[in-house]
Amino acid sequence: MTRLVVGPFNRVEGDLELTLDVADGAVAAARVSAPLFRGFERILVGRPPEDALAIVPRICGICSVSQSMAAAAALRAAMGVTPPPNGGLAADLAHAAENIADHLSHFYLFFMPDFCRAEYAGRPWFEAITARFKAVEGSAAGDLLPARARLLHVVGILAGKWPHALAFRPGGTTRAVDLGETMRLVATVAQLRRFLERTLFAAPLDAVAALADPAALNAFAEASSSRGGDFAAFLRIAGDLDLQSLGRGTTALMSYGAYRGGGEPLFRAGVFDPATGEVRPVAGADIREDTSSAWLAGGPAHPAEADTHPAPDKPGAYGWSKAPRLAGEPVEVGALARQVVDGLPLARALIDGGGSNVLARVVARLVEVARVALAMERWVGALDPGQPFSTAAPPVSDAAADGLVEAARGSLGHWITIQDGEIARYQIISPTTWNFSPRDSAGVPGPLEQALVGTAVGERGAGAAAIQHVVRSFDPCMVCTAH
Amino acid sequence: MDAPRETFYDVIRRQGISRRSFVKFCSLTAASLGLGASGATTVANALETKPRIPVIWMHGLECTCCSESFIRSAHPLVKDVVLSMISLDYDDTIMAAAGHQADAILQETRQKHKGQYILAVEGNPPLNENGMYCIDGGRPFVEKLVEMADDSLAVIAWGACASWGCVQAAKPNPTQAVPIDKVIRNKPIIKVPGCPPIAEVMTGVVGYVVTFGRLPELDRQGRPKMFYSQRIHDKCYRRPHFDAGQFVEEWDDEGARKGYCLYKMGCKGPTTYNACSTTRWNGGVSFPIQSGHGCIGCSEDGFWDKGSFYDRLTNISAFGIEANADQIGMVAAGTVAAGLAVHAGVTAVRKLSGRDDHHPHA
Repeated sequence: MTRLVVGPFNRVEGDLELTLDVADGAVAAARVSAPLFRGFERILVGRPPEDALAIVPRICGICSVSQSMAAAAALRAAMGVTPPPNGGLAADLAHAAENIADHLSHFYLFFMPDFCRAEYAGRPWFEAITARFKAVEGSAAGDLLPARARLLHVVGILAGKWPHALAFRPGGTTRAVDLGETMRLVATVAQLRRFLERTLFAAPLDAVAALADPAALNAFAEASSSRGGDFAAFLRIAGDLDLQSLGRGTTALMSYGAYRGGGEPLFRAGVFDPATGEVRPVAGADIREDTSSAWLAGGPAHPAEADTHPAPDKPGAYGWSKAPRLAGEPVEVGALARQVVDGLPLARALIDGGGSNVLARVVARLVEVARVALAMERWVGALDPGQPFSTAAPPVSDAAADGLVEAARGSLGHWITIQDGEIARYQIISPTTWNFSPRDSAGVPGPLEQALVGTAVGERGAGAAAIQHVVRSFDPCMVCTAH
Repeated sequence: MDAPRETFYDVIRRQGISRRSFVKFCSLTAASLGLGASGATTVANALETKPRIPVIWMHGLECTCCSESFIRSAHPLVKDVVLSMISLDYDDTIMAAAGHQADAILQETRQKHKGQYILAVEGNPPLNENGMYCIDGGRPFVEKLVEMADDSLAVIAWGACASWGCVQAAKPNPTQAVPIDKVIRNKPIIKVPGCPPIAEVMTGVVGYVVTFGRLPELDRQGRPKMFYSQRIHDKCYRRPHFDAGQFVEEWDDEGARKGYCLYKMGCKGPTTYNACSTTRWNGGVSFPIQSGHGCIGCSEDGFWDKGSFYDRLTNISAFGIEANADQIGMVAAGTVAAGLAVHAGVTAVRKLSGRDDHHPHA
């Protein structure tokens, strides 16, 4: 048995370190550490509740709208207000733009460059993939970055700037777009479709959203080989390297339900049990945050009753992240969880048998891009510039509430307690806190730690690309993890 | 023994960027820097003849919003050229290497370009618990930061974190996060505040520094004058409504739809020095005030602990606001310690920027 440290990781949001125990050329145990802590949960205490709307986006420069949406949802619940339809649509549109931008950044800038590593030289696809995806030098970044910048004009138009927009309020959004701006939104969403249909998929969005099973996916990969498309290129690599067998996860999959601006969520909420294939409701009361392996004091507690007290010398701890558990169990969150819970046949089929895996996570993320892009077109069309975007939200002096939303990387929850008009307690569980959670008091590892076990590293040890694929398939956001 | 060092132009051409694009880039850079009609030639000449200045980009306690802003610079050409130009010899977020290989590149660049590279810092060091709140490659970030700064030519402090501390330094500042000039005392530091800074401001600053090999003219707080010499309020398109006493009273009310002033909603535009109301965001699409929300003053020191973001400013008068950034900076640097730090920073910067000491804010 040898112990390896992998880190610091590049092309990851924030800092990340792994400790791997390797026996017989495969990972026997993994520990993931979030080595960065800022203390937002303590900084928020004592401030006026609505000030959270300006502070929480700054937890993260890539999921800032998600953080804003969770805070707005929590305050909305505390105040008991409902935004007018325009406010819900505008918020969903901005949130969708950020989430798609994150999915695309992950695929192009963070995930694919690992296939350009020297260990793959000699594979039939190596040269083409390297020319396309090599970090900094590949041609893909030049296609992606302008498209992504244009997409984020959606947030600019609706909310002033990205990242760290301020326009998202409990009562709606502050910007009532006029007809001209609505037309700019139409054009911007059309540009997104053009990028996706020409460059990423080389196929119509509807065809991607309709891919029903692995056979259809294979047919898509082969049919696209003549006309290109980055998604098909990935699928062919995934077949060659058998990424469906890599990074297996057998935990339940959870989604809080995504894009609720129009009332009914676009992707429904629930917990998928891979053993039974059933979806049950999310029992928020059963969430606990365990701090056994974190440099934090205190026992397991529900986030509405938890606190955050650093204990940097705590023995046995190995990072700043808490270990969230649902009814005592770790759960995986993210685009795959959202699509599986929502019942997308392709997503269910890709995890059937062996559980979640690298292929399924990446495919679900990109198919979700297609589904959300189609929804954005409908939402823009539903905006009614003559009607209100915001409703009055009276201040509240005492309340406790939660805001549960879906960020690009999965389930994001904010729990707020307001006393005498000030924030008395604020707790955050972000998606990567779920996925990259450390061991709990029973010694049960988190989803990534489980998924890494069994990964063959061979002679390359810590340098094996397989480790990178598994870690990055979750699209970690480490600054959110420990916040 | 050394081979001649590559120029920027060599690098740019090697990246497959055409001469035509290069010339266009030079014009854009010159325009954004306010260099006038002959500026493009000056920029082009510098890039063709000077050796490329390596840039090392480090991340401390932060949220990566600065990188996000940077890579989204409005003009894709600017972004491409700047990226090729500085090559980001070391950048955590986008580079290819991982693990100890990445650390090795960092050390190699440091030794090879000793005293010649620009260190760009995003985020800041936490000092509590001996730096344990931000461990990078098994070592406290603060150690790595000081080490890398020691061998640099100059330091760029990206964003509110590196410049002032930002929200992680808000009370009670659990990690004792401090701006980088609290730990880097021996190098000129240019502060590019904002949360994040505007993409065009970032590319403008880095473009200037790598083109001319020195810092642009700075104000007393260490900010580049070309982007931080005016209040948001000075150039705000809603300013006539402020002067006319027409204010938004509630989000999305009738006044909001007419574009009235957001002063009563807590707008900090009158006391905030930044280019938002002129350059705007996301490629000139909008900025926070245009979205119907007040400015929170995210480029100002201490913006996170000045009362609620929604409190009305009480220290401005309707007409004749005649303080400039340097005077406000003098007031802000109230304590002896802070005063000394500012002074030390200014002295160091003067050496590099060659500024006329007798007219610090002409």
